[in-house]
Amino acid sequence: MFFLSLLWLLIGLLIGGLTWMARCSPPSWRRFVWLRMLVLGAVVALAAGWLGVLLAGHFFATALALWVTVFCMVVLPRGTRWLHMHLHIKKV
Amino acid sequence: MQNGAQENQPSIISTVPTTDNTTGSLPHTKRGRRFIPLATRCLLGILFLSGFLCSMLPWGRAFVRSTVLLPALISAQEPAPLQLMGEPIRHTQTTLPFQDGTVYLDIYAPTTPVPLLPHARNGVLILPGIGDQRQDPQLVNLSQSLARAGIVTFDMTTDTLLNNDVAAEDSDGVVQAFQALAHWPGLAGQHLGLMSFSAGVPLICFAAADPRIRDDVAYVTAFGGYFNTANALKIVGRRAMMVDGKQVPWQPVPYTLQVLSNVVTRTFSFDEQTRIRAVFAPGGTPLSSLQIAQLSPGARAAYQLLMGSEPDKVDANMAVLPPAVHAELADLSPSRVINEIRAPIFLLHDRNDAFLPFSESRDFAAALTRIHHEHDYVEFHIFDHVEVKSNLQLAQLLTDGSHLFSVLNRVLQLNS
Repeated sequence: MFFLSLLWLLIGLLIGGLTWMARCSPPSWRRFVWLRMLVLGAVVALAAGWLGVLLAGHFFATALALWVTVFCMVVLPRGTRWLHMHLHIKKV
Repeated sequence: MQNGAQENQPSIISTVPTTDNTTGSLPHTKRGRRFIPLATRCLLGILFLSGFLCSMLPWGRAFVRSTVLLPALISAQEPAPLQLMGEPIRHTQTTLPFQDGTVYLDIYAPTTPVPLLPHARNGVLILPGIGDQRQDPQLVNLSQSLARAGIVTFDMTTDTLLNNDVAAEDSDGVVQAFQALAHWPGLAGQHLGLMSFSAGVPLICFAAADPRIRDDVAYVTAFGGYFNTANALKIVGRRAMMVDGKQVPWQPVPYTLQVLSNVVTRTFSFDEQTRIRAVFAPGGTPLSSLQIAQLSPGARAAYQLLMGSEPDKVDANMAVLPPAVHAELADLSPSRVINEIRAPIFLLHDRNDAFLPFSESRDFAAALTRIHHEHDYVEFHIFDHVEVKSNLQLAQLLTDGSHLFSVLNRVLQLNS
């Protein structure tokens, strides 16, 4: 399980890097964007991997972690931005 | 602040040589600035799709399992990715009673809790054939690899099989073992697989046709088996088989003769049974002319068939066999139950098999085609009976490996 967790962290770092290169980071982030994306990717992948074990077992957990991490890394920043703007407009 | 944000974005401009700042470099830079995010988005899309398909869809899960299991089967050892990413497993042994004896089970199963997604865990019952194969490294490797891929694997044998014999009554033991597998945590309500090697094939065919379980069987995989016992005995008697209308020489290994002698002599008198079996047991010597003359006509015919000493009189010798032997041979033939099996049947056989002639699997496939039963038949060159040969040539490995992958993928799709 230790090595699997390391693998998921590595996958998360890779996906974090790719999403940064794909300019999927939230526009509100001004400093250390690449670092934030890498850390977020690693954390999401680790959580997705453990969720994968619960849902699909060890064997399919890595494949599940892969798509869940990509999904979260692409959707989460935009989702939080949309939510932030939506709440901000309501307040105004 | 805006400058700080730009500093943290990938530096595309810096990759373009600044010394050659001609008019043509600017559009090139713009193209590059657009290309990298686009390419990485495509890559992310591919990663998302491949991860989703491989973990959520049945055919995707079967594809992943086949991809990981194929190297394990061909190299006869668990590959590192399977050990790293596979389930932690445990091997246990247990016994089950059935109407004619005891089933010995070797269970290889994941130790982790049952996953929440349906069909993430499957099961297969393996009957490795005659003799004690439980410690065979390739069987252990297959069972462990399947278990690591989330497939609970039951390897079974019986006292009859351990005594180098085969009896149709043991099919009840297969049914009992299958039902025990069906009650394993996480497998309830699922269709499960049946896999057999060599002379174990008739037993799983009889079990797959049994009304108690036939609707719960996902597939039947028969590797290196036979279709009709009487035909197999004729091939042994002729030391030749018919392939594409031509007679091809075929020499059985001593073990085949030993098992056949146990089957054929079962209804003979104790004296004749002992004398004939002793000839085909390891270290046995052929009977003298006088000893052969002392045998009853039926026993003499059986002996000549097994020895292959009268290849031109095979039909005549078959006709002389006692009715009880003919009944025994018919009883042990998968041909008698093919109309009652509902699951798809996968037949695999090596063309150079010296234990059982591959023409038997061809006959099996032809019969399934005639009755329009879903099946697949593949011939290989990389196996020594049912075990992978060592030092294989790359071309042969690639050809047979792709066939094996195709069958494995189809088999695993049926219960993924």
